Amino acid sequence: MQLPLIYLRKNTKLEYAIVISVILLIFKIIYPVADSFITLFVSELLILCGAYLWFLYLIEFLIVNKTNTLALILNTGILTAILFFIIAISSAYVEAGNPPTGDQDFISTVFSVLISFAFVGAFLYILAVFRELFFLRQKRDPKTYFNTMLFFLGFAFISNLFVYLDVTFDYLRNSFYVVSIVLISINSLRVAWIAFLQKKQKLYLLAISIVLTILFGFNFAFTLEETIIRELMTNFSPGIHTVLNLVMLYGTIYFGVIFFTTLFHLPTAEAFDRKAEEVSSLMDLSKLITQVFDFKELADTVTTITSNVCNSDSAWLVSQEAEKIELRSVNNIGYVEADRLTNALLLEYAYDIKDVLILNHQPIKVKINSDMRTFNYASLAIAPLKVHDEINGYLFVTRKQDFVFDDDDRKAIEAFADYAAVALENAKLLEKSLEKERMEKELDVAREIQYKILPLDTPKHEKIKVSALFIPAFEVGGDYYDFFKISENKIGFVIADVSGKGISASFVMAEVKGIFETLSRLITSPKEVLIKANEILRESLDKKTFVTAIYGILDLQNGVVTFARAGHSPVMYVNNDKVIQLSPKGIGLGLDDGDKFNRNIEELEIKLKNDDILAFYTDGINEAHNGELEEFGYDRFEKLLLKNAELDPDIISNEIMRELTIFSKDRSQHDDITLVILKWCFNN
Amino acid sequence: MSDFNVNVRGVGSVSVIDVKGYLDAHTAPDLENAFNSLLENDQFKVVVNFNDLTYISSAGLGVFMAYVETMRENSGDIKFSNMQDSVYNIFDLLGFPVLYEFFKDEVEAVNKFSDEQ
Repeated sequence: MQLPLIYLRKNTKLEYAIVISVILLIFKIIYPVADSFITLFVSELLILCGAYLWFLYLIEFLIVNKTNTLALILNTGILTAILFFIIAISSAYVEAGNPPTGDQDFISTVFSVLISFAFVGAFLYILAVFRELFFLRQKRDPKTYFNTMLFFLGFAFISNLFVYLDVTFDYLRNSFYVVSIVLISINSLRVAWIAFLQKKQKLYLLAISIVLTILFGFNFAFTLEETIIRELMTNFSPGIHTVLNLVMLYGTIYFGVIFFTTLFHLPTAEAFDRKAEEVSSLMDLSKLITQVFDFKELADTVTTITSNVCNSDSAWLVSQEAEKIELRSVNNIGYVEADRLTNALLLEYAYDIKDVLILNHQPIKVKINSDMRTFNYASLAIAPLKVHDEINGYLFVTRKQDFVFDDDDRKAIEAFADYAAVALENAKLLEKSLEKERMEKELDVAREIQYKILPLDTPKHEKIKVSALFIPAFEVGGDYYDFFKISENKIGFVIADVSGKGISASFVMAEVKGIFETLSRLITSPKEVLIKANEILRESLDKKTFVTAIYGILDLQNGVVTFARAGHSPVMYVNNDKVIQLSPKGIGLGLDDGDKFNRNIEELEIKLKNDDILAFYTDGINEAHNGELEEFGYDRFEKLLLKNAELDPDIISNEIMRELTIFSKDRSQHDDITLVILKWCFNN
Repeated sequence: MSDFNVNVRGVGSVSVIDVKGYLDAHTAPDLENAFNSLLENDQFKVVVNFNDLTYISSAGLGVFMAYVETMRENSGDIKFSNMQDSVYNIFDLLGFPVLYEFFKDEVEAVNKFSDEQ
């Protein structure tokens, strides 16, 4: 059931209301006393319409200007008090011997009409406030009840017209009056909103409602009695008088109900407040969890809120990672005290803490700065921060006064601990993913360094075909190969593998490149180059790191290759359908101070024949594993070299890589793979 | 990835470290811990028994390099024994046999320490 005209625009309602009020004022001045049915009818019609429109306007006004419930009630109270005041003064005035104004001069007419307007305005506002209160905190839409009541108020209003026509219609007015009272009583029971007030507000409401009940009661009584106001109102409009009377009754009943309801809600007010605070705290927390990346901030919020909600004296929160306990936040307790208490408590109870553990009246002795101190808490709660049955930390809450933590406290503490646990887990995950991102960035840098260090091209000469292939592992290793033009007919070449991985290996690799580039120009003997390289690297490498390398020189005039090996994988030499592993003695670079290295390094010289192949590589090839943890090994490598020996070096290395990929398809590539193949293509 | 296990035991004044499985960059810290605990107890004579070790990477080799100097400065050493051929080949290629002593059998290695005195 909808009220008519309710959908008019707010300003339109106001305009209509004002227009009708002005017309009414003029009408009332012209016809101060309704001496015929027609004037009364017109007057009542104008008043009803005007009052109705003002009422609609006020409803919307209250909805738009959302005011605090208690402020609304206070406004109502003030208005009622003013009405009471006016009524009382005027009654006193009359009782003092001043006869009610019988003659209607212009001034007194305007005056009495304005007073009536004020009364009507006041009770319309009060009625609108009642409507607002009526709809507060209602789950289902109860407007039918209220609107029905409004209609009956309207009927009661109109019935006065009939009474004017014939006094026997009195019964009609009385029945509408009674029905209105019944509806008012029913509607007065909608006071659910009281439950949601805080305790302080309830006390305030209790006081104000008793005063208002009395005021409305007086006003109701006064409108019934033979007072000047009654006469004035009846004269203004008999209908309005009836409705005013009913609204005052409504106020009396409604505030009476409010008073008693509030009174009955008082004992549970505190518990209700607490629950409400818990709920809103939890909501705040859950918002925080998604917003706060800083766990410290969240831990502070948790300890503060726990302290407030559980009425505790202090709270603190520790995180636990791999047996390491770290104090993350304290509330109302010293850092050192919290730390010592944590240690003492966890030492004693750690194994018992599966759920919230509450210790009542147990003194705890801790040593602080060689001082034995005893903490006497009435109640101390330890709540584990659990995620998936794993304890990430603990929340401690203490209370000094006599009341120990009850079941509600336990539940609240548990809830807060759960939130803290989730937040802690989130913070950890975030840290991990940042760390991972950082590592990936580092690996990107390492890979970039590696690509920049490796040569773009292989040497071009009619007598040789050279291919070089490099495939970095995800976790970048330190593979390196390079070619140097030493003279018109001599090419230097190096292949090296830095132990270790990642960006540190890349930096060593850069150093190695610098060393070989320089030494290749200064020293002609490969053995001497490696000896010098060892000296330099021994100085700069840390103890754990070493570099394996092969350095050699190819003479393009006669096909003689001279090379030395420092701990590196043997050279594969393919000659006449067989593969020979060339492995001259030599220790890895950086393993020894010099003496042993220098004495143990050999130089090897071979003279290449047409179609001879030399393959240099890093252990990424022979140490590649398959799903059964079997190594690719030297045998497979040799067989592949032999099988493809007729082909171009590019194709040979592609073939080898293809086989290697198939072999290790079930495993991720563990180490960098480098393969340099040199083929001599000159019959000398 | 197959597991890696490290176990330290005393044989007279010599400490024997049994290594088992797959020693690479990820498992090397376990071995480092074993060496650290030996240093804390002033144990400088060490034999590493490779009997059950199937693979060693360059990071694994680095562990021995990191500690051998300290051991030797304190008139101790790290000696290797019971190495499988595949593992020995890795050491051999790098030239470790010039720098470290390798033994077929753990007892030989342990005895070598007493002979030295």
